[in-house]
Amino acid sequence: MVTEFETKLLGVMMMVIMMGMGASLTWRDFLIAFRKPKGVLVGIFCQYGIMPFLGFALAMLLGLPPALAVGLILMACMPGGTTSNIFAYFSKGVLALSIMMTSVSTLVALVMVPALLEFYSQAAGISGDFKIPASNVAQVLVVLLVPTLIGMLLRRFSPNVGATIELLGGFLGIVVILFLVVTWIPRNHQLLTSTPWTVYFAAIGLGLIGMALGYGLARLLRQDAKRSRTIALETGIQNGPLAVLIVTLSFAGTMQQDILLIPVLYSLFIVISSSFVTMAFRRRSDREALARDKAKSGQLVAG
Amino acid sequence: MSFTQRPWSQMYAQVGINPELPAPQHQNLAQLIHESCTRWAKESQVKAAFTCVVPNGMNGSLGFAEVDALSDAFAGYLRSTLGLQRGDRVAVQLPNSLPYPVVAFGVLKAGCVLVNINPLYTVPEMVHQFNNCQAKVLVVVDMFANKLPEVLAQTSVKHIVLAGVPEFFPAIARGIIRGVQKVWSKVLPPVNVPHVRLQEALTQGRATLATQPAKSYWQDLKADDLAALQYTGGTTGVSKGAMLSHGNLLNNVQQMLAMGATHMTPGQECVLTALPLYHIFAFTANLLGFLVLGGHNILVPSPRPVQNLQRAVENYPLTWITGVNTLFNGLLNEEWFLAYPPKHLKASIAGGTALHSAVAQRWRDVTGTPIAEGYGLTETSPVVSFNPLSGEPRLGSIGIPAPGTDVRLVSEAGQDVSVDEPGEIWVRGPQVMQGYWQNEAETANVMQEGWFATGDIAVMDAKGFLRIVDRKKDMVLVSGFNVYPNEVEDVIAQLDAVLEVAVVGTPDERTGEAVRAYVVANPDHAGELRPEDVLAHCKHHLAAYKRPTSVVLRDELPKTPIGKVLRKDLKIEVQKEFKANSAARITAPTTTRPTSINAAAE
Repeated sequence: MVTEFETKLLGVMMMVIMMGMGASLTWRDFLIAFRKPKGVLVGIFCQYGIMPFLGFALAMLLGLPPALAVGLILMACMPGGTTSNIFAYFSKGVLALSIMMTSVSTLVALVMVPALLEFYSQAAGISGDFKIPASNVAQVLVVLLVPTLIGMLLRRFSPNVGATIELLGGFLGIVVILFLVVTWIPRNHQLLTSTPWTVYFAAIGLGLIGMALGYGLARLLRQDAKRSRTIALETGIQNGPLAVLIVTLSFAGTMQQDILLIPVLYSLFIVISSSFVTMAFRRRSDREALARDKAKSGQLVAG
Repeated sequence: MSFTQRPWSQMYAQVGINPELPAPQHQNLAQLIHESCTRWAKESQVKAAFTCVVPNGMNGSLGFAEVDALSDAFAGYLRSTLGLQRGDRVAVQLPNSLPYPVVAFGVLKAGCVLVNINPLYTVPEMVHQFNNCQAKVLVVVDMFANKLPEVLAQTSVKHIVLAGVPEFFPAIARGIIRGVQKVWSKVLPPVNVPHVRLQEALTQGRATLATQPAKSYWQDLKADDLAALQYTGGTTGVSKGAMLSHGNLLNNVQQMLAMGATHMTPGQECVLTALPLYHIFAFTANLLGFLVLGGHNILVPSPRPVQNLQRAVENYPLTWITGVNTLFNGLLNEEWFLAYPPKHLKASIAGGTALHSAVAQRWRDVTGTPIAEGYGLTETSPVVSFNPLSGEPRLGSIGIPAPGTDVRLVSEAGQDVSVDEPGEIWVRGPQVMQGYWQNEAETANVMQEGWFATGDIAVMDAKGFLRIVDRKKDMVLVSGFNVYPNEVEDVIAQLDAVLEVAVVGTPDERTGEAVRAYVVANPDHAGELRPEDVLAHCKHHLAAYKRPTSVVLRDELPKTPIGKVLRKDLKIEVQKEFKANSAARITAPTTTRPTSINAAAE
């Protein structure tokens, strides 16, 4: 059970995170990204096509009970997490693309998340009690759009303030996950030990399988290796804290606790699995750079 | 043709340029700096004198009055605290950042000699230059402090002043950038030599001004006193320090402003300074020229990758851009630049190396403003000639000589050539250096009776417009015909699939030398660049002897820090390649030619 104070604190931190995301961008960046929209569109498709279906499929295949299924589907329908930008940076990916995908998926979330949630909850046969009201989701997203816009304005008004908030937001993104872990796990350790492997599989698999599918699709659509790696991370990394916030605002008591299980586990494990994936990507990126250096002797064609 | 008549002089009136170069209104650069700062602190409409912008948009600024006061303090530090004498050399190794104007102006106000040195230099290069100029003080950016122990052991440098890129930024921004530099990108090495930080030096220097005002150091400096040693030729091996006097630089600033006057409004310009200030082009044109003009200088510490310029271009109302071919070409290949070219832009100038006509044309199309190619050398402070911004653009021309400048084109036999005939450019004017520092032999090689022989081959048309044919030493000799790499590069650069190109000669048994093109593919046309197409295109546009016989695809070309393509490095590769080949075949003749190329380059 998350206390009311913690819910409020989480809400405030989310606002700072969203303000940071807004501050990472200018309006022009959006307009430029949509001049050659293929990369962004591939990302959006991964985010709202692949991930929700993956969440739904995992819930069905693993036969999760309604409370857990709702948590998983909600998690799967979330927009990209702001921490993906940090991982994109460390994996030597395309930072601009990562920032753009996160922002665009967050803006589109206003329409996409309630719709997808409704659709997959129906498909999974989730009954009334467990259903997350679409209006709740929309409300939270609208409220979060305000700090995003404030962030964009701050950036415009002062690049120094904007860049500072951008860094602060990225940093808080990690803090919030740590906060969830230290406040939630000690109170629920019994629940964790009694949790079946299927739940762990779903929480970890959502991120990892999502990354694999995102990478595969990006390659299939002829994005280069570097962009594909960025898209992979972006697809797998969802906005965990946002899901937690929505759950705490929509449910109470033990029901809240049950539904929170997968979003919290996901948030914890995604940091771990993203770190490993990032290290692997980084090594590949270094190897490619080395290979390019070697190939510099060039290709000679005599006329 | 009769060069003494200055055939270009009737052009000045037509393009709105005053043909008479007014005598400098200041005795020395320190006075110019002080009076400009004092005036513009009150009158300029721009937001600041200098703003440094890092890639994420964080920035710091200094106003005119601040730069004046801070540079006074640095002058006090050099003369009173450290006890330097007038004429002592101070080496400065700083990227474009706010410490640069503070330190450079401080050195000039102290009556000392500014020695600009590339921060990316290796230890042997630094050692050579420090020993050559006998610098006592080195002001260096903290990112490169790791080279210091080794350098100091071998030189006469006694005092080290360290400055950071985010110096003079707001405290939080400075803290974040330093944190990122230290923890994240790990570019701040530990400093293992005695040193003082710039801020501390300024505090110490400021304290001396009460008893000994900065003006006392500069008020009797004269036009022919030495202002700067600007090293050149470092890329060919032995670098020489061009001695530029206060008068050289004062006059060249006037010449630069005279040529640009039609597109400049005092107190209202905003210039992008992406080229390094330690290079003479940006030093004279941006740092000094736009200070005199009361303009806003946007300093970008590192213009590579060119993406680094995005926030600077977006956030400031740029009216002028100075650059080299590579920079303009780079910007024209950025999505963000094409979508939103700077809308307040009035004009751009290109120097340093030939501006490809394809790039110039696209720049005009994209920005809707003129881009003029100028020509100059370190030895001439640097501006020699400049394309007038008004009037129809003349692609491929380096324009007419700046007011007050005499130019002759001289044949190998030492005679003036006729109209449209190629000859070596000789320059005489108030901007020509005093000679090379402590190198009489090299000075005598290039200076004769006030004329400076540039080593560049050009032709002049009847109206006095010059067109560079090429560097003397870069010429390729195919079956006795001169092939000028610039011309071939210009043709190849017209292909959309080509991002960059460099042309050099290779030894050839049949023709003596043959033309080879090194080509970088344009990522926007990935997979489209085939060597066959390059050859076919050349066949269409070039006489047979000028066409490349080989095309080599590359990921990138070797470049100098300001982005000039280093043909010299490519030639060295060619030499190695052919030496290996001929050694295998034991047929010597082809190896003799590359050695002679090398001899010409020295």
